[in-house]
Formats: sequence, structure tokens, C-alpha cells
Amino acid sequence: MSVSEFIGKLIPMELFAGLRLTGGYIFRKKVTIQYPEQRMEPTDRFRGMFGYDVDRCIDCHLCAQACPIDIIHIKDHTEVEEDPETGKKKRKKIIDRYDIDVKRCMFCGLCEEACPTEPKSVWLTTKTYEMATYERAEQLYFDKERLASWEGVQPFPGVLPPAQGGLPDAPMGGAGAAGKEA
Amino acid sequence: MHGPLYDLVLLPLIKIVVVLAAVLLIVAYLTFFERKLLSYMQVRIGPNRVGPRGWLQPIADGLKLFVKEDLVPGQAEKFVFLLAPVLIMAPALVMFSVIPFGPELWITDINIALLFILGVSSIGVYGVILGGWSSNSKFSLMGGLRSAAQMVSYEVPMGFAIVSVLLMARTLSLVGIVEAQKAAHLWYIVPGILAFGIYFICGVAETNRNPFDLPEAESELVAGFHTEYSGMKFAFFYLGEYTNMLVVSSLATIMFFGGWLRPFPNVAWLSFLDVIPPLVWFLAKVGFFIFVYIWFRGTFPRYRFDQLMAVGWKWLIPLSLVNLFVIGLGVLLLKG
Amino acid sequence: MAGPLEPLFDLEEMELSFGPQHPSTHGVLRVMLRLDGEKVMEAKPIIGYLHRGTEKLFEQETFTQCIPHTDRLDYIAAPTNNQGFVLAVEKLLGITVPPRASYIRMILAELGRISSHLLWLATHAIDLGAITPFFYTFREREIILDLFEEYCGARLTLNAMRVGGVPFELPDGWVEKCSAFIDEFPSHIDEYETLLTENRIWKKRTVGIGVISAEEAIDWGLTGPPLRGSGVKWDIRKVFPYDRYDEVEFEVPIGQAGDTYDRYLVRMEEMRQSARIIRQCLDRLPEGPVMAKVPKVLRAPEGMVYASVEAPKGELGYFLVTTAKGTKPYRCHVRPPSFINLQALPEMVKGSLVADLVAVIGTLDIVLGEIDR
Repeated sequence: MSVSEFIGKLIPMELFAGLRLTGGYIFRKKVTIQYPEQRMEPTDRFRGMFGYDVDRCIDCHLCAQACPIDIIHIKDHTEVEEDPETGKKKRKKIIDRYDIDVKRCMFCGLCEEACPTEPKSVWLTTKTYEMATYERAEQLYFDKERLASWEGVQPFPGVLPPAQGGLPDAPMGGAGAAGKEA
Repeated sequence: MHGPLYDLVLLPLIKIVVVLAAVLLIVAYLTFFERKLLSYMQVRIGPNRVGPRGWLQPIADGLKLFVKEDLVPGQAEKFVFLLAPVLIMAPALVMFSVIPFGPELWITDINIALLFILGVSSIGVYGVILGGWSSNSKFSLMGGLRSAAQMVSYEVPMGFAIVSVLLMARTLSLVGIVEAQKAAHLWYIVPGILAFGIYFICGVAETNRNPFDLPEAESELVAGFHTEYSGMKFAFFYLGEYTNMLVVSSLATIMFFGGWLRPFPNVAWLSFLDVIPPLVWFLAKVGFFIFVYIWFRGTFPRYRFDQLMAVGWKWLIPLSLVNLFVIGLGVLLLKG
Repeated sequence: MAGPLEPLFDLEEMELSFGPQHPSTHGVLRVMLRLDGEKVMEAKPIIGYLHRGTEKLFEQETFTQCIPHTDRLDYIAAPTNNQGFVLAVEKLLGITVPPRASYIRMILAELGRISSHLLWLATHAIDLGAITPFFYTFREREIILDLFEEYCGARLTLNAMRVGGVPFELPDGWVEKCSAFIDEFPSHIDEYETLLTENRIWKKRTVGIGVISAEEAIDWGLTGPPLRGSGVKWDIRKVFPYDRYDEVEFEVPIGQAGDTYDRYLVRMEEMRQSARIIRQCLDRLPEGPVMAKVPKVLRAPEGMVYASVEAPKGELGYFLVTTAKGTKPYRCHVRPPSFINLQALPEMVKGSLVADLVAVIGTLDIVLGEIDR
């Protein structure tokens, strides 16, 4: 070991370089987001709480089929309806149940992709992620009324629940288009 | 003018209560200071929810630890398990009895203060090793063993570094050391820079702080010797660690940085610095060392156990011997 | 006294269950240790605490439905998991992916590699006692996750690739954001290196620790940085290029000593190379569709296929068996890099100290989601 090496070993310059870096950071701007007061705005495509519009839904069950973990439960029956003017008989599907077991959902968005209506009848691009509850068996199991009213869900500021006219925020580019091309 | 009862009992008692309260308060806020400073180094904000800007956080922490359930593991050696936190905390506090905070600001000035501190601080090792052993947990035991070896081996170079100060000051009294620096017109950091380096490294190791925080290395030993401790007993370990940091920093200030003296105590045109009271000078210097402690923690990885021993025995002890020899020679030639 | 020297005390070996709840076992790995003091006499990894039966699950899902499940294998680098699976299915079905889709996949995969390596660096440094790099790396990782979120709506479990391409077009302004990040990213790597690379404590903790020679590494079947750290130039992106990796230029960094420090250097350099790949992809991003014309219901021919990608942790392979006109895999096997790299752990730590065990677990960069599946 030469003398200069020995002195180099004695005076830890590289440790001082590290100290200078961390010391310098004391005066830098901090990156913390103070959550309840400040919120990160999710992007437009963010997959969060479900929205569901029973009026747009055509009861095609494609979402339930697309779901990898089968958490969308649909029950319907067919009613024969007579048009009061023409007297023509029309078969109409009535959705009795449209339930999503959100606690098991993995938010992959395949149901939304499968939905053929325009705009989508079931969508996740709601920016809403504050769904915490004290109980999960019932509070996180959403039937079609709660999927529309979002009872017990804290909507992201500026986002309306579907019942009050919230619409999918889905500038998905190739998403739907790719599906339709095929 | 007062009776002996006042001089011998009442006055010391008042001093003790004041110092104790001040130390405990400072220590509590040290934890807050550390958390804040670390987070500032790590581009985050740190605790800021309890009280204005988080200033009540240490109080909340203390309260939480106080009301927490006091668990003793079923297989633990109960008496020793209870004794260990006391063995950490008590010696750390006792050391403050001889530390001078300013001119005439001390509980007592004994002529063997340095020896006293060296002796009392060694008791802390028992707290760590007994705590580790009595928990009857493998992780705790390993932490206890590590720290026993570490503290014992780092006390040797630390002692040598202190002896070199002793040679320069020719007194063991801490007040005497500060006054000797005043008389010498020089802080001992100038001749004793190497001694200071050795002393501070050993001090960091003695207090089990990063990069020598092996006894509690959380990524290896979960929490080391205090894995099984909770509630107030854990708080004692925690406070003991910070009190020890305070002691090490105070000693560094007194031995190498002139205690309560202002910089260049004999340069006349700097006398405007005397506006700042000596106690503030003392606290500022101590605060700086605490800052360095935290800075280390925010920057360095941790040594491995055997490497730590190698650093102690292969580097620090030979260096401290060389340093002792050089300083001894210097003292002999200059004062001889 | 005749005979060999008796030890002064009874030397008792200690059994220690290291994990599954332990700060540095990176999830739920459990290592049964036989210790002599602090010396590791034997280390036996015990896995299975995170077993979810993913491979079996694949048999009940259509090909598209499998993709979100692949996200959850190596959950900190989801894009490469998706990529491996869709490549396998495309190979089986004979689908050619449009170039734009390939480039987007490569960008996502390399961003995923950077984010995985950042997380590895953060946890590895914390295991060795340096807490600050964690926060610096997470700051950059956050930007990557934001990019992911903006592209596909999720931050970790992306589900961002489909058989035949990628599901979404890049959003407006994404390319600019991504290239701004790539431009400043190398300076952040310099920051981490200032804290660690030359640091004598870091070197003491990593140089010569967990050494594995090139031959041994090949024998154990190691892939990824643990293999390259030993000096074997083996990278699926180079040797069996997939997507459009043959069109971009990058180096495959290798180490020499096969120790923890070399693996650290390899990964640091890989991050720089990934940034270089992303830069090239962004510059040459071709126009065109992002999805090939594929039938809505994917029907596979009878057959079997193996496709692998260079995941951040090593070679990630998918082996699929299908029946004629099957919409689901008949059998699927995943070759996870972590699982195979973990095998070498007992060899690498034998005779070292407990502290080194932590370092070696960190340097193997395992993810239990992938090991247990």
C-alpha cells in the first residue's frame, strides 16, 4: 500500500461526497403530497370505481363473460310488452340484477373493453378510488342501484355518480376501435 | 449565608431536577428533530400532523408508549427483562451530573469526571446484553452478543483518544478541560483532530448508531436486542440511545470544541460574539454533533459485524496509539 | 490428554426461522437457517406462502383473461409478464404484431425494467442499512408509474398488452413526458451511485459476497443479472430477439467476479441501457395501428409453444399447451426467473454471516409472487 493510498483510506472522500448529496437535499423541494388536503388527480384512463348505466345497458352479458374472475352477476327476464298505439307485441329484456362484487375486482378493465354500447354502460374511468369501508361483505358488494348512486363511495372531486349524469371519461384511442375492427 | 442543608441537599436537588427535566425534554424532541431532518434529506416532509407543524409529535409518541400494554414474553427471564431498560437509561442520565453546560452551570464538578463517565457508560453494555439475553429470543440474543463485543472493543480506542485530551489538559475534570482550553488560547480540535475523529467514530459505535447500528440492524435482526420490548420499556431503550448520543456530543464539545467557549476565546476583536451566552454556544455545538449523527444515518449503509470489529481493532486502535504517542511527544516537547 | 482437542464449550448449532415475517425477506420467503454463532451452516428456502395456483387458473380463462393474472406474477414489473404471455399466444396463433404496437410494448417493458431495478436498488440498499436511496429511487419510480397510469389506467397491475398488439393508443403528450423523464433519468442514476458505488462501507458489504462462478451459474440455470454478473453474456433480447429488439442498439452489461457488487453494477448499467432503448423507441415510433386484426374470440390450434422474454429478473418463459380450437390454454407452465435464481441461495450463502444472507437475498432480486405463483 503506497502512502497516497493509505491516506486515501484514512480520509474517506467518497463518504463526504455522499454526505454532501444528502445534506444538499435538505434544502430541495419536497415531493410529498399531503393526502387529504392535496390529492393526486388520477389520469383520464385511471381505472377506479365502477360506473353503470342501466338505461344504456343492452343486457348482452359480454362484460360478465369478459370478467376473468366472474364477479359480475346479471339476472334478467323477458317481458312481452304491447305497444298501446300499434298493438304490436315487443319482447323486452328487463335487468333484475346487475351486481358487481367490487371487493374481489382486480380492476383489469376487460368488462369495460367488452361493452359494446356507446358511451359504455359499464366503465371504470371514474377517477374515484376512495371506497374504503369498515365492512366488506356488504359494503363492497354493489347492486345496480348502488352502482348508479355510489352510496358509500367518495367520488373524486368533480366527478358525478352515474345516477347524477356521470359519463365514462374514456379517450381510449385504439381501445374500442381495435375491438370493433375485428 | 445559607445553611448546610441548602448547600448540600436542596440546591443539588433543584439542579438535578432541572437538568433531568431539560435532558428528557431535549431527548424527546431529538427524536422529532431526527425524523424531520431525515425526511428532509429524503425529499419528504416528515411528521406534521400532531400540533402545529407536528411539534407535539414527541408528546404524542410518549403518551402512546406510556399507555401501551406492557408485554413480557412468557419465556422471558422476568426480573432481568425489567432490569435491562433501567440499566440503559439510568447510567445515561447519571452522566449528566458531571457535564458542565456553561460557567458555573453544572450539577457537580468532580476531579475524576472523565473516568467517571468512562466507567458509568460501560454499565450501559449490561443493559443491552441482559435485555438481549433475557428476552429469550434468538434475534435478541444475537443483537445482545453483537453489541457486547462492539461496545467493549470500541471503548479501547475511545479511551486512548480521551487520554490524549487528558495529556493536553492535565486534568480529568471536565470543567478543568474547558478552562485549560481557555488558558491555552486554543480548542483541542487543532492538535487533536485525529483524536477527535477516533473519538467521534467510537462514539457513534458506542451509541449503536448507523453505520454501526448492528445490535439493532432491523434488516437482519428485526430489532436486535429490543425485539421483544414494547411500551414504556421500549421507550427506555429508545430514550437511552438518544441520551447517550447527547452525552457523546457533549463530551466531544467539551473535550475538543471548548465547551461553552466562543470560537477563538482570546481574539479580542471577536468579543462581540460574547453577546451570545455560553450556554447557547454549548448547545449549538452539541446540536451540530447531533446533526452529524443524523446525517450519517441518512447517508451510510451498515457495516457487517466482523468488518466492524476489523475497523475497530485494525484501524482505530493502532491509529489511536499513534495519535497518543504524537500528542504525548508534543506535550513533552512544548510543556516538558 | 490424548486425542483431538475438545472444544472448550459445547458448540451448539442454532436453528433460526428467518421469515416469513421478517423485514428483509422481500415478501413471504422463509429461510430455515442452521447457525453456528452468526455463521450460516445451512440455509433452506421454504416457499409457498403466496401460492395462488395461477398456472391452474390459466386453464379456466380465455387467453385474454389470462393477461391480468400474469400481472400478478412479478407484480413489480408487470409489462414484461404481459409481454411474455402475449408473445407465446401470438407464436401459437401465428399473429404478426404491427410495428407501432411492438415499439409501445418495448417502451413499456423497458420502463418496467427500470422501475423493477429501482425497487430492487431501494430494498437492497435498505437491507444493507442505507435508507436514503429508497426515497430517491421511489421518486423516480413514481414518475414511471404515472406514465403507466396515463397510458393504461393502472399503476402496477397494468393489463397493458393484448394478443395482437396493445389495447390503447398512446395518449396525447405521453411521448413528450416519457422522453423528458428519460432525459433526466441518467442524472438520477448518478445520484444513487454517488451514495453507493464508491462508498467503502457499501463495497465492504458487497464485494466478494455471494460469489457464484460462471459455470456454477449456468449449472444452476440462473438467468438475468445474477448470470450476467458472473460474466456470461446472455440476454434473451439479444440472443432470441422478440418484438423489435433487433432494431434497437444496446449493450448487455456483464460483470466479472460474480459477486454482489458486480450484480449491483450490472443492474445500474442495465437501467442506463434501458433508458437508451426507450430513447431510440420514442425517436422512431412508427405510425400505424396498435392492434393486428385478430378474431374477437381467439381459437388456438392444437399444439404447444414456449416463448420467453428477458424480464428484469431473468428469463421469463411461458409454456402453453392447447387443444384444437381451444379458447383456453389446456396447460400452462410459467418459468419464473426468481424461482430458479432462488435455488442458488443455499450455495451462495453457505459459510457466510447472517448479514450476508440478507445481502444475497437482496441481490438475487426475488419476487415471491413469481416464485409461488
